[in-house]
Amino acid sequence: MTDASTVEGSDTVVAAEELDDLTLVVRAQEGDTRAFEILVRRHQRPLYRLAVRLLDNRSDAEDALQEAFVAAWRRLGGFRGEATFSSWMYRIVTNRCLKLLRRRRPVTTLEDLGDPPGPDGASPEHSAERQDRAAALQRALQNLSIDQRACWILRELHGLSYEDIAAIVGASPDAVRGRLHRARCNLAEVMTPWR
Amino acid sequence: MAVNGTRPQHDVALLACGRDAATVWERAVAGRTSAHDRSCPHCQAVADDQRLLATAVAALVEEAVEPPPSLTERVMGAVLAELRPSHYLPLPTRHGHARIDRVTAAGVLRHAVAQMSALRVRSCQIHLIEPSRSGDTSGDDASAESALGSPMVRIDISVTARFGADLLSATARVRQMILAAAEDLLGLPVATVDVEVVDVFEDPARRPH
Repeated sequence: MTDASTVEGSDTVVAAEELDDLTLVVRAQEGDTRAFEILVRRHQRPLYRLAVRLLDNRSDAEDALQEAFVAAWRRLGGFRGEATFSSWMYRIVTNRCLKLLRRRRPVTTLEDLGDPPGPDGASPEHSAERQDRAAALQRALQNLSIDQRACWILRELHGLSYEDIAAIVGASPDAVRGRLHRARCNLAEVMTPWR
Repeated sequence: MAVNGTRPQHDVALLACGRDAATVWERAVAGRTSAHDRSCPHCQAVADDQRLLATAVAALVEEAVEPPPSLTERVMGAVLAELRPSHYLPLPTRHGHARIDRVTAAGVLRHAVAQMSALRVRSCQIHLIEPSRSGDTSGDDASAESALGSPMVRIDISVTARFGADLLSATARVRQMILAAAEDLLGLPVATVDVEVVDVFEDPARRPH
């Protein structure tokens, strides 16, 4: 048996889902699987988006995320709360995806990059153009080096600080800043037809 | 954009005007461009690139990318399949054996205390106090045996407390509730209950407007 999902106080009702991450982590460390399930539900959305953008494949992203959460459960005893649970999970998911990418293919360079899909004059509708623009950017992302891609996605799509990204990818904040800038320049060059 | 070199410490290109390209980009993102940024063609080229990408990023962020509903189920299925072996606590009985899983027992105690709005239980650990075999009955551990001969338990809990709560009475009450739940609901003979307040939380419902 685990905690009831909702409990009533004298003048308030506190749902287990409202408990802070650290409390849920400690409970999960003590074997409470319900607490871990709440953490999974709470954090899976941004982590899934991260994996999809890194791997450019929803099925692979789903597998990577599942493996990352199970790895987190196994390693939960080593989590001491120096970082937030969110940062810790970002690190596990990013590293798992990078490992998959390095195994999947050699690092590509800009020279390997084909012509990106440009604006389609035959589809003037705004939403269609936005979709095409997003698709072009997603395609361009896959042609960045793996390290540049990871830094760019963590910064531009997840809004993480240089320090947080540095801790996740195991580099210095200055190195992250350099990778991020090169990624931006490369992407801007590829996206020029959309100017 | 025109560049003429790199700064080794940052590994970021310098523009032909001598400005750090990454800094110019970040200023454009923040909307804090300087007079030079607005008049310099090199800096303007960086700002143009930033705007170009910002539009594409917004389009990418808008895309619906949601995890499949089955993901949590798959994760928890794998987690439950490799659960650690259970550790049991013996329950005092007059006839036969009875025992309870420690995680389950901790859940019962947490649930009992969860009725308090001033405190939230973080950790709850139940330790068996083995009766002394030496015959020395001077210490707590040595006398830690219930009337039915079962070993007693020590309960360590850590809690977070609502900011502004009366900690002295709250911790006394939580101890009382843990004792009652352990003895009345579980039948566990309790030697001690140690309570540690490890953090405070703000209750949004009680925050002054």
